[in-house]
Amino acid sequence: MSITTAPEPVLARPMTTTRRWQTGLILFGIAMLVVGAIVLLNDVAPKNYIGIAIWFLGALVIHDGIAAFAIFGVSILMRRASRKIPFVVIAILQGALAIAAIFFVIVVPAMLKKDIGSANTSILPLDYGLNLVLFYAGLAVVTAAAIAGYLVVAARNRSRA
Amino acid sequence: MLLKWQVQRLLHQTRHSLAAPSRNPRAAVVLGRLLGIAFIITFLTGLYSHFIQEPLPWMVFLTRPIWLYQVSQGIHITAGILCFPLIFAKLYTIFPELFQTPPVRSFPHFLERASITVFVASSLVQITIGLLNTYQWYALFPFPFRQTHYALSFVIIGSLAIHIALKLPVIAQYWRKRDALTADGHLVEHATEPEPQRQDELQRLTGKVQNAGITGRIFEWIDRSPTLPPQTSRRGFFATVAVASAALVTLTAGQSFRVFDATNLFGARKNDTGPQGLPVNRTAKRAKVLESATAPDWQLTVSNGASTKSFSYEELRAMPQHEVVLPIACVEGWSQYATWKGPRLKELIATVDGDPSSTVRITSLEQGSSYAQTTMGPEFVRDDLTLVALDLEGEPLDIDHGYPARMIAPARPGVLQTKWLSTLEVLS
Repeated sequence: MSITTAPEPVLARPMTTTRRWQTGLILFGIAMLVVGAIVLLNDVAPKNYIGIAIWFLGALVIHDGIAAFAIFGVSILMRRASRKIPFVVIAILQGALAIAAIFFVIVVPAMLKKDIGSANTSILPLDYGLNLVLFYAGLAVVTAAAIAGYLVVAARNRSRA
Repeated sequence: MLLKWQVQRLLHQTRHSLAAPSRNPRAAVVLGRLLGIAFIITFLTGLYSHFIQEPLPWMVFLTRPIWLYQVSQGIHITAGILCFPLIFAKLYTIFPELFQTPPVRSFPHFLERASITVFVASSLVQITIGLLNTYQWYALFPFPFRQTHYALSFVIIGSLAIHIALKLPVIAQYWRKRDALTADGHLVEHATEPEPQRQDELQRLTGKVQNAGITGRIFEWIDRSPTLPPQTSRRGFFATVAVASAALVTLTAGQSFRVFDATNLFGARKNDTGPQGLPVNRTAKRAKVLESATAPDWQLTVSNGASTKSFSYEELRAMPQHEVVLPIACVEGWSQYATWKGPRLKELIATVDGDPSSTVRITSLEQGSSYAQTTMGPEFVRDDLTLVALDLEGEPLDIDHGYPARMIAPARPGVLQTKWLSTLEVLS
């Protein structure tokens, strides 16, 4: 498998429209970063900076160090399974797993916080655990239907051929 | 010295193994566009919400349409939730770039990687704390939410602008489909980095071949795994992002937009829940007003300089009562329309000769809140729809909704619709 890589980022040659856009965007970006730094220095007490830094580091470690590799591991298993299972079925399964994972990330914190307790009953009022199970059941049905639909169409096409 | 080449080989092999059909510059550009739009929308709606709460002296806000803040903040939260699948997908497309060899090629390259690190970390933190804030899970934050969220919004927009600037040549190359893909669906390859030589430096120095050792054999095993057809893989990838995004909006946006109420399975709020069928943020108990708000001698004091007048609950009810239908729209994104009734604010301040186009300072009975005292600009004060509400849905306000009297004004965030009123002061 080849790696398609973006060219090394370099500023375009002087006097081009691209170079002017790049310069403008970089200056705007630096200005925004300065505003962000000023807001942080003015509005957030220095004792909180370490907490923000820990969250930044945690986000990178959890995403790049754990989640992205877990996804990679699953995709390798899927690729190997494609020796026996049609490609399209693999793609549908991968998609369903990715959707399930995204909903897990969004909904499980709501479920946990509801269990811990909310300030009043109108905050997190739904049964998030049950709804997630129902959603996964629906996702499984739709996935199975999509796979079945593909297999039927593929079989029909094969018999025509 | 050998360690350097060992690390370099590991990075190269990792990057090579991670290659996949949907991990390409065209996919990164397509997702980058969507994510960029979502970031700009959340930034602008976030700024609107910030400044309507903390206006600069010269700022004036629209009071129509009455749903302006409701829609603006609903879009802010919904687009924020939508950022989750978009950012995960974007990071998926560029993940192999994390393992570039050598990790830093030049000072500009270092700056580019540093800016991306800040951009990715701040974006992930921003959307996560935003979501957790709608769940009111503050205990997880070792920092103040609102101020940090506000500061990070500038950091994200700034690092996004720098990122776009540095990637502009690639973005231009892969912006249009016809330039990015060939007629048979293959990616057009522009300038690419040369692949490190097969006979890498470690092999030259030690004779150790690439598939030697445990890691070498693992990478070889991965390499032997079949690859999915590029077009099927790419279509599956984008279909997944589209379905995940559509499902998230459908199943969460009911907290902000009634049209999705029937499918609201995962929103942090649900319409028609709470006292009098309306959600609540701060309860009377938490605001420590259970006694003061129900005291028989409660009065609303209205003042304009030396002129002061106090109104009992009955006296407020004896004034001309107006009925309005306005949304209560929280900064956390939830909102719901309700019918409110009570005297107009401008008619109350007229009793102390206050000009309808005055600024009014509003004080609540509530304790320990930075919103116990707020200021309302003239555009809201003179509006016919701005009431000191006594009734909600035809009944006296529930104490959690601000009994005996609360503010309700059009196109204003819920946190400024002050509950448990104590005093109204005409400032100018």
